[in-house]
Amino acid sequence: MKKNGVKMIKINSKNVDVFYGKKQALFNINLDIEENQVTALIGPSGCGKSTFLRCLNRMNDVIDICRVKGQIIINDFDINDKSCDVVRLREKIGMVFQKPNPFPKTIYENISYGPTIHGMAQSKNEMDEIVETSLKKAALWEEVKDRLHEPGTGLSGGQQQRLCIARAISVKPEVILMDEPCSALDPIATAQIEELIDELKKDHTIIIVTHSMAQAARVSQNTGFFHLGELIEHGSTDKIFKNPENKKTQDYITGRFG
Amino acid sequence: MNLILFIFIVLLGFTSYYFGRRKAYTIQSTNKRLTALPQFYGYYLAIWCAIPAFIIFSLWAIFEPTIVKLLILSDYSNQGYLDDELNLIYEKTKALSRGQFTGEITPFIEASAEKYLSLRSIAQSSKAVIVLSIIIASVAYAYKKISSNSRTREPVEKFLKAVLFTASLAAILTTVGIVFSLIFQTIDFFKVIPLFDFVFGTHWYPAKAFVRDSSEALDPTMYSDTFGAVPIFAGTFFIAFIAMCVAIPIGLMSGIYLAEYASVKVRQYAKPLIEILAGIPTVVYGFFAALTVGPFLKEIGNSMGLDVSAESALAAGGVMGIMIIPFISSLSDDVITSVPQSLRDGSYAMGATKSETIKKVIFPAALPGIVGSILLGVSRAIGETMIVVMASGLAANLTLNPLESTSTITAQIVVILIGDQAFGDPKTQAAFALGMSLFLVTLCLNIVALRVVKKYREKYE
Repeated sequence: MKKNGVKMIKINSKNVDVFYGKKQALFNINLDIEENQVTALIGPSGCGKSTFLRCLNRMNDVIDICRVKGQIIINDFDINDKSCDVVRLREKIGMVFQKPNPFPKTIYENISYGPTIHGMAQSKNEMDEIVETSLKKAALWEEVKDRLHEPGTGLSGGQQQRLCIARAISVKPEVILMDEPCSALDPIATAQIEELIDELKKDHTIIIVTHSMAQAARVSQNTGFFHLGELIEHGSTDKIFKNPENKKTQDYITGRFG
Repeated sequence: MNLILFIFIVLLGFTSYYFGRRKAYTIQSTNKRLTALPQFYGYYLAIWCAIPAFIIFSLWAIFEPTIVKLLILSDYSNQGYLDDELNLIYEKTKALSRGQFTGEITPFIEASAEKYLSLRSIAQSSKAVIVLSIIIASVAYAYKKISSNSRTREPVEKFLKAVLFTASLAAILTTVGIVFSLIFQTIDFFKVIPLFDFVFGTHWYPAKAFVRDSSEALDPTMYSDTFGAVPIFAGTFFIAFIAMCVAIPIGLMSGIYLAEYASVKVRQYAKPLIEILAGIPTVVYGFFAALTVGPFLKEIGNSMGLDVSAESALAAGGVMGIMIIPFISSLSDDVITSVPQSLRDGSYAMGATKSETIKKVIFPAALPGIVGSILLGVSRAIGETMIVVMASGLAANLTLNPLESTSTITAQIVVILIGDQAFGDPKTQAAFALGMSLFLVTLCLNIVALRVVKKYREKYE
């Protein structure tokens, strides 16, 4: 989104290094993410794109041996600073995973989980409303409105993934991180999710890691290409796909390696 | 003699293995393709050695004693002895031949003993000759038969399957045998004591049954109010309840700590340490409860003005709970660890803290498995014997005061079966009835537990 012709930067990462034990996984990443746009991170397996994504909501904290250096600034605030409250951060930055991972609870409880934790609803009515809006935004409402109190694990793969998206947007995050959200889905479910991503970018900034270059080209406005832990090139999707500056990027996009 | 024969047969088995394999190599060297690897030819011959040996040995074990007995007793036929007397004569003969006979030695018996010894030695040597010749014949036959296209792999595989099947059959048959021995004695018991009195009677006093003179006729009325099992059932469940009050919270919390909070290093050392608790013999727990915890509780109680029995349900139940901790902690640790990491990630990514994640996502997901581990713990608590025998008293008190002594099913079985017992006596049979009820209770618990655990497994695999 452009304000007075100037791009609005939502996330600004400076000199990010990530280590797993002694092994360095990311080298000096500097990447700006535009607000209310879809940014795709592409690159061969093991290139660090998922690791970078997990830096943005501090999910790497969960891994004991993982250390993150550098600054990641969101809303003028460095999330790697000691004073950062991870609970508040993750309320603002939601995440959708590669494999649909609904909780073994009912559909309703899956959605109400986040709002309950963050105390966002004062009454049952309010909660009902949050659940309904989230499911509608995730384009799942029509399919599940009659069975909200059945287990979420009973849905099909594509429905489960949309349930996870609904769960992520239930707390009204500013940013949604998606880690290969369609890799476990069939083409029809994938198309539904991609359509949804396009819809969601009105209210949210979206960063998506994907293995499919076609998907990156379809859904994203900006693309970053990672290789061996380094950010090789980033810019508008159009430019990266049609006119890449770096030879590696060109080779990868034309399918010569990766 | 038997041992030497056995060693000889084993050596023969190895030799035939070697010969079978060698023949296979010979066939191979003539550029013919074998139907199986050479060692299968070896195994095949070894089986031709083992099976005849096994059959002859078992036939011998079944028939030799009967035949020898018939031959010995044939000397005494037509002399008007009764069957019982003949049996006695035979036993005396055997004892004398072993040099363990202490009574009066008559010339008749001495002659029989000599005959017995000579018969035995004939039997032994003929057994050796027969076994060895049959084995050699069968191995030689099989050796001649095997050729490049004979099937050796299939018989060997079948033989292995049969051996494994026999092993599992032995375990199952033992269980069935135990159940049947319980059933018949239990039925006999309930012929004397009405089922109603046993299940609903509130007075358990088996010592009363001691008083009966065995020459007197059995009078069922004298047992009324003797075998009422309510107090000991109550005691059993009460002590198990106390044990679970200790074991469930501590076991669960340590399981959660190990699975979710402990670092790899801590877990690596803490888990085996907790599991050591499971390796302590229960008799050691027993004297810990009887000699340390019991008196300690009594002292504390006395200082607070409470009347605490030295052998209290609390001491026994508490120590039993400690014994069960490792089962619950270790099992629930496994169950919690096997909850997929993706669920944790999903919850953390929503901004949930560790304790929220455990409480709201991991615990419900692991609940079936945790319930299973608790039920297994309960069935251990109910079946535990040594601790209650030593620490909870032996008098069957119907009480719900944890500071008093009470008794359990297992402890009563011990009380009844210690020392001399008369078979066919209601007192002895009472132990079988108790054992049967204990078996039924733990069986039900185990079935429920396994069902629950299975249901859990289906969910994530």
